[in-house]
Amino acid sequence: MKKLSRYLNLYRIFVIQYMKTTMQSKVDFFIGLGGFLISQAAGLAFLYLVFEQIPSMREWTLEQMLFIYGFAQLPRGIDHLLTDNIWMVGWQMVIKGTFDKYILRPMNIFFQIVCEKVQFDALGEILVGLVLVGRSVAKGTVQVTPVKLLFFVVSVAAGTVIYTSVKLILASLAFWLKDSSAIMTTAYEVADFAKYPVEIYAKPVQAVLMTILPFAFVAYIPSTFFLIDANLWTTIGAECAVAAIIWTVAYKLFQKGISVYESAGN
Amino acid sequence: MKKFFRIYWPFAANQIKSNFVYKGRFYLFILRKFLGMFIYYYLWMAIYASAPTGELGGFTRAEMILYVFMSYTVSDMVMVGISSEIGYDVTDGNVAMSLTKPISYRARLVFKSLGVMLYRAVVPTLFIWIGLEIYKVSRLGMPLTSPVTMAATLVSILLSFFIYIFFDYCFGMLAFVTTYVFGMNIIKNAALNFLTGKLIPISFFPEVLQRIFAVLPFTAMTYVPVLIYLGKYSGAQVLEQLGKQALWVVVLFLLGSYLWKKIEKRIVILGG
Repeated sequence: MKKLSRYLNLYRIFVIQYMKTTMQSKVDFFIGLGGFLISQAAGLAFLYLVFEQIPSMREWTLEQMLFIYGFAQLPRGIDHLLTDNIWMVGWQMVIKGTFDKYILRPMNIFFQIVCEKVQFDALGEILVGLVLVGRSVAKGTVQVTPVKLLFFVVSVAAGTVIYTSVKLILASLAFWLKDSSAIMTTAYEVADFAKYPVEIYAKPVQAVLMTILPFAFVAYIPSTFFLIDANLWTTIGAECAVAAIIWTVAYKLFQKGISVYESAGN
Repeated sequence: MKKFFRIYWPFAANQIKSNFVYKGRFYLFILRKFLGMFIYYYLWMAIYASAPTGELGGFTRAEMILYVFMSYTVSDMVMVGISSEIGYDVTDGNVAMSLTKPISYRARLVFKSLGVMLYRAVVPTLFIWIGLEIYKVSRLGMPLTSPVTMAATLVSILLSFFIYIFFDYCFGMLAFVTTYVFGMNIIKNAALNFLTGKLIPISFFPEVLQRIFAVLPFTAMTYVPVLIYLGKYSGAQVLEQLGKQALWVVVLFLLGSYLWKKIEKRIVILGG
């Protein structure tokens, strides 16, 4: 308990420190936010234009597609907001040897990496996600009950863990490969598949999305629970199980990676 | 002997590792391009499967398959950005060095990109195109693309390349105003994906927007060459579209020169 409050306090200090540096250039913040909003808008406009032409796609209506799309943005956005600094491990820290500083401090290393940066650009994704989900509620596409609300929060949290874990696994590869940024960007492209119903893809693609890069569990599978009352255990239950497993693997691999880390030397 | 081995082996191991990283990066690069294409391929397949008629926005299912792969490969070839390099040059102050050298800054950037473009024309574009022609004949039951159409498409792609690069040069001039070129580029790319018709054919848009797009340079970047390839234009229309593209090349070139002159006067380099 004491440890937890110490870490919370440290997190506050780090974030305030980071905010000071970003406040120097508020324009950059709005440009970044605008960029993410526009790319979201393009994705949505695509759906609208397509659904002008067809009544529904493989049983899915536009409203349902928008819910899945918006739902997918939330874990992605939250992960992006809180743990964006993991990218730097795969991209620069190992190869440049700047990872040294984390090992020297008496704090959990994963915590140190994560708290060093808050990616405010991600608020664009979260905003779009919230608006779309809110819209679905207002239009009656999904019903709100206290139980469903609770599971929604659980599902978003588990989805965030899946995103963070995939990122951590791929970033940790840098301890062996020195630079894993190309693998990371590829995996992120794969995540885009999960914005749409996974059943439209060919079987091998579905298999990848359910196993190696389990993005299918982030939004599409749990969304069937909210949209068509699919079984709780095979949707959100499965999502939580996947999240727990992949996080364990990710954290083990990360620790193993640290043990083989050798500094770049000066 | 053993010691010798121990000392020199890490050099070899490092070579292997870095080769793996770079070679791996190369394959991943290609894989990434395929991923984006296939998301849209599957989406369109599902969309056409649910379509009440066989035609959407004036495209048949077969045409749409070709459209997805062509618009991806063409925009990949054509959009070799230079604005981010201008951005780095400005923030690092490198642009000062370029000013002192007796070569044109823009011409240097254009030729660097031309190299990238030619490389991408072969890897992976050529292979995708060959695959596409085979697919076209064997699966879609369409004839091979005629040499004339192919030639017109290639000319159009080259013009698209110049339109994009002169546009991006103008865009890069923003680096003198804001330092956050990374964010500006995200905005630009997102907007272009849409305005060029890469994401969805322009014919899906409402009539009013289509008319606006017709007078903007963006459709000339990927939409025109792809439509020429698909044989959507008659002979006279092809010439008209190529003429329009050429016009945009000239206009954007002149605009770039004008902006550069303006900025050259007020440029301030720190340190050095």
